[in-house]
Amino acid sequence: MDRSKQKQLLNQNEKQTTSVVGDSSVNGHFDGMAKMKSRAGLPLAASGETSGQSSGAIESWREERTRSLEDNEMSLPSIASAYTTILRGLGEDPQRQGLLKTPWRAATAMQFFTKGYQEKIIDVLNDAIFDEDHDEMVIVKDIDMFSMCEHHLVPIFGRVHIGYLPNKRVLGLSKLARIVEIYSRRLQVQERLTKQIAVAITEALQPAGVGVVIEATHMCMVMRGVQKMNSKTVTSTMLGVFREDPKTRDEFLTLIRS
Amino acid sequence: MEYQKVTDVSATCNGNIVSELTCRTGFAELSIETTKAAVQHFNETSRKEAEDESRLPILEAAYTTILRGLGENTDRQGLLRTPLRAAKAMQFFTKGYHETIYDILNDAIFDEDHEEMVIVKDIDMFSLCEHHLVPFFGKVHIGYLPNKKVVGLSKLARIVEIYSRRLQVQERLTKQIAMAISEALQPAGVAVVIEAAHMCMMMRGVQKMNSRTVTSSMLGSFREDPKTRKEFLTLTKSA
Repeated sequence: MDRSKQKQLLNQNEKQTTSVVGDSSVNGHFDGMAKMKSRAGLPLAASGETSGQSSGAIESWREERTRSLEDNEMSLPSIASAYTTILRGLGEDPQRQGLLKTPWRAATAMQFFTKGYQEKIIDVLNDAIFDEDHDEMVIVKDIDMFSMCEHHLVPIFGRVHIGYLPNKRVLGLSKLARIVEIYSRRLQVQERLTKQIAVAITEALQPAGVGVVIEATHMCMVMRGVQKMNSKTVTSTMLGVFREDPKTRDEFLTLIRS
Repeated sequence: MEYQKVTDVSATCNGNIVSELTCRTGFAELSIETTKAAVQHFNETSRKEAEDESRLPILEAAYTTILRGLGENTDRQGLLRTPLRAAKAMQFFTKGYHETIYDILNDAIFDEDHEEMVIVKDIDMFSLCEHHLVPFFGKVHIGYLPNKKVVGLSKLARIVEIYSRRLQVQERLTKQIAMAISEALQPAGVAVVIEAAHMCMMMRGVQKMNSRTVTSSMLGSFREDPKTRKEFLTLTKSA
């Protein structure tokens, strides 16, 4: 597993250097892209992950998976024994009937909650990009989203609303939901999640504009800490026309509210 | 023999507790050990608050293993102190193991000449599924028919807190709350209804977002008299 990860690291570093050059030709009027280009030039500290750094977002189109199904199987025993340690550390008895197989269930569950690391955007989009002569707004709203807070390892759940203005190319609608799935099933911060979804759609379609709004409840705020039951966190990313033209943004925000 | 009944239900902690209780059938057999002398009640906890701090490093190391096993890079900025935060969060979610019923109820039982139903409803409840270590949350509705003794209202919510901040199964949670009130007050009847959403069903597995699990425990006159039960259920139904 170490060797495969090292190989992935090498591949990723190589691909980074090539992708920076390649991306300079992408639509120039995305401010987000311009900023990220310079950051992507910096060498990433030897890390096997692709979701963490914001410069990782620019490589979403080409990113390597950090995890495979074999990796999952091989790491399951160590994660399960870590959970057994946790159960003991909390004062519970891991041998009682209800907890006997809990370490394995919890480990499998946690791997499911982070399965976004196993998937690539390219695989998911599956050539579902079509040429249509449509240049009106397309919105997919109320996409249920479940993620894990990277600070407390506690769930975040909410809804994602995505809108984009196609530029001769439209995307299969479920693919928008699948992009949400890939990025949300990771250890995330809501701001980064919003941006990653927006950038992925931008890279895939080169639309005239993309807007992503996420409204979520953070269990780390509801179940512990301040314990505010009804609080919601709203983040948004507007790229292209959505950022520049207030009327477009307005239309988008009105339509997702109704 | 009451004790025997309840052990089946609430012996969620070490096997030690169960075996200790089976010895308590007679005073002659009671052996007093200094560590266990502090036990007042079958609800003895397996964890004291002072131990929490000392357990943190073990939990932190376990969480670091988990993060690495999931393929994440534990040196990146967002994850640097996550094992510590996650360990503390998990200890918070299981702080019900610290507390006993008698600690919180001791002073708040009053003699009142009241025999009508008392209901406290819509108590927000957050617990952890013991099978997947994933939260489940919902509302608890409690009703009881006092028998000359009433309890401070917030104490009902505190009872819910004690039992829900543990690794739980919703059925057991409902029963434990009902039994605790029953033992503390000896009322004419107790009813507890819990309606919860289980993230282990919403986030994974079948992935049904809108499903809710409802469990109830009816004791005493709530169990025997259908009209009493109906009154309770009608009053707790939210419009």
